[in-house]
Amino acid sequence: MARIQFENVTKYYGNVLAVDKLNLEIRDKEFVVLLGPSGCGKTTTLNMIAGLEELSEGDIWFDDEIVNFMPPHKRDVAMVFQSYALYPHKSVYENIAFGLAMRKYPRDEIDQRVRDAAARLHIEHLLDRRPNQLSGGQRQRVALGRAMVRQPAVFLMDEPLSNLDAALRVSMRAEIKELHQTMQTTFVYVTHDQAEALTLADRIVVMKDGIVQQVGAPDEIYEQPRNMFVASFLGNPPINYLEGELVASNGRMAFRRGELTLALNGLASTRLKGDAGRKVVLGIRPEDVDDRNAPVDGGAIDGHVNFVMPIGSDQFLNMKLEGEELFFRVGKETRHRNGEEVTLAANLDRLHLFDQDTQKSLLWD
Amino acid sequence: MSTKTAGHRYRKRPRLPDLAHQLAIFVASVILLTYVLAPFAWLVSSSFQTEAEIVSVPPHWIPHEPTLENFDAIFFYGQEEVTYESRSTVDPASGGYIPSTAKDLLPAMWNSFKVAIAVVILNLLVGVPAAYAMAKIRFKGRNASVYTILTTRVIPDIALVVPFFLVIKNLGLLDSLWALILTYLAITVPFTVFILVGYFESLPDDLDKAARIDGCSRFQALIRVFIPLAVPSLVAVVLFTFLTSWNEFLLALMFTQTQAAQTLPIIVASFTSDFTISFSFINAAGVVAVIPPVIVALMFERYIVSGLTAGAVKG
Repeated sequence: MARIQFENVTKYYGNVLAVDKLNLEIRDKEFVVLLGPSGCGKTTTLNMIAGLEELSEGDIWFDDEIVNFMPPHKRDVAMVFQSYALYPHKSVYENIAFGLAMRKYPRDEIDQRVRDAAARLHIEHLLDRRPNQLSGGQRQRVALGRAMVRQPAVFLMDEPLSNLDAALRVSMRAEIKELHQTMQTTFVYVTHDQAEALTLADRIVVMKDGIVQQVGAPDEIYEQPRNMFVASFLGNPPINYLEGELVASNGRMAFRRGELTLALNGLASTRLKGDAGRKVVLGIRPEDVDDRNAPVDGGAIDGHVNFVMPIGSDQFLNMKLEGEELFFRVGKETRHRNGEEVTLAANLDRLHLFDQDTQKSLLWD
Repeated sequence: MSTKTAGHRYRKRPRLPDLAHQLAIFVASVILLTYVLAPFAWLVSSSFQTEAEIVSVPPHWIPHEPTLENFDAIFFYGQEEVTYESRSTVDPASGGYIPSTAKDLLPAMWNSFKVAIAVVILNLLVGVPAAYAMAKIRFKGRNASVYTILTTRVIPDIALVVPFFLVIKNLGLLDSLWALILTYLAITVPFTVFILVGYFESLPDDLDKAARIDGCSRFQALIRVFIPLAVPSLVAVVLFTFLTSWNEFLLALMFTQTQAAQTLPIIVASFTSDFTISFSFINAAGVVAVIPPVIVALMFERYIVSGLTAGAVKG
């Protein structure tokens, strides 16, 4: 059992600020994903949980104990590395058993646990091999096994899937999710892959430049991003942005840029009443349009199709609209052609609005 | 037709240029090997020759009358008293001369051996933890300490002789093996650290982190993970430090005076400044002197393997 709490945790490397006043509570048995671009401080945060990095300021709590200067081998944590970090001079068996042997478990219990883990990960037949005789996916499993056998209170993963090929990555995602359910322990997972974060996490912590941008459940992060960074970091292809201004029309608020006018829904309209003339950025996700139904009043997007990119299940449209290039995703019932003029129906309940200066959301805080 | 011939030109592996290429490499190898091995071959060959045969023209690369008398003199001469009068009569090999310091050869070799082994062991004890710390632990002054250590290696030994002498004298260690062990460490430890820092830095940091999370203290991570992986570079360090101590001349000449501490190079050199010079004996002494380093090299040769770290991390 482990609850991890960060209180004003700050980390400097020399003069470089890596993590800035992090306040975060990771609940017992929770699966938390730290998500962000490289250099955002997510791996540093993970290393501080593991005890591999000292903090510059603040406190980290494990349950009721401050662990700032507790060395890694005294913390009940296990970690899976992006590089796997298997010991090249040890066999797979010895690699998995090493953590238990260092903690002086009895020999038969070590054997039992190693064989159980190997069976679960389907690597029993590899136990006598050396890491350099394994494929990437097999090494990944050994690294998981090494962490699993310890039955740690906290399971840390630093981009464990990023060296695998796409198909394997998807299937390992499911296995990690299952592992979390059966192990019933706290998972902290670092990734820059938003799809991994969305599929795995109970809660996602989005970070940038050492600062937490938003913490929330995957759906919340995706549907109610607090700022433009969060909105554009999740979603593929990323959200479209259009600069424009708010106007009042027919008693409702609307977004306008040139010929394009999109009416806001009731909630947003009420919230932004009286903000007419404000400079804003409209965010609209590629999938929040429709080419089959006629647009509702104030929900039409007229544009010129630059080119069409079929992706099997759907088609992407690269469109020119009010001087900007936007990406939309539509079904493939209607075949679109390069150079065509189309009218799409925007889902007005899913529009995002941000302040042009602060880049913060005007709809959620 | 000519077009067709040209089109098929590279269909098969060209044979002839290949052969010429191999021949050139072979000839070059032979020349290089001869250059390197000929002096050594002459050393070994002449150690089995009498003084008379050694000076024959042309030289006998293969002794016509091989003799073991030179070695006999080294190993069994020591029991007899050497005087000015007896010096020419006691060489049974050829009527040539056995140097008056001949009886010191084997004790000197034993001294050299003790010094070399001590220097090797102390180098590893000091150098390995130092290199690990510099390669894997971030601490203030880390770069400064690495560069300071390296800088000491650009100072020529001759410049250090006087300071070394004063230190050794004040410690009361003149003419003792400790004088040599301490000064040789000063020369070899920086180089050991230099080699090992480079090697440890090439091992992924994640291995260090994994070991510590698996329950190792820093020291255990070094012992259980890094040392087994560093065997090739440790072997290089062992060979380098052993050979450096075994061959060192200048400091040994300065700090030792008696059989208590004189090492092999000093004694062998003294053979050339005796009443007269016996080439056959000197060469036999030379052969005896190279045997321990050769044994050490052969012992560790099989540990010098590359690619041990392959598979540690995704390449």
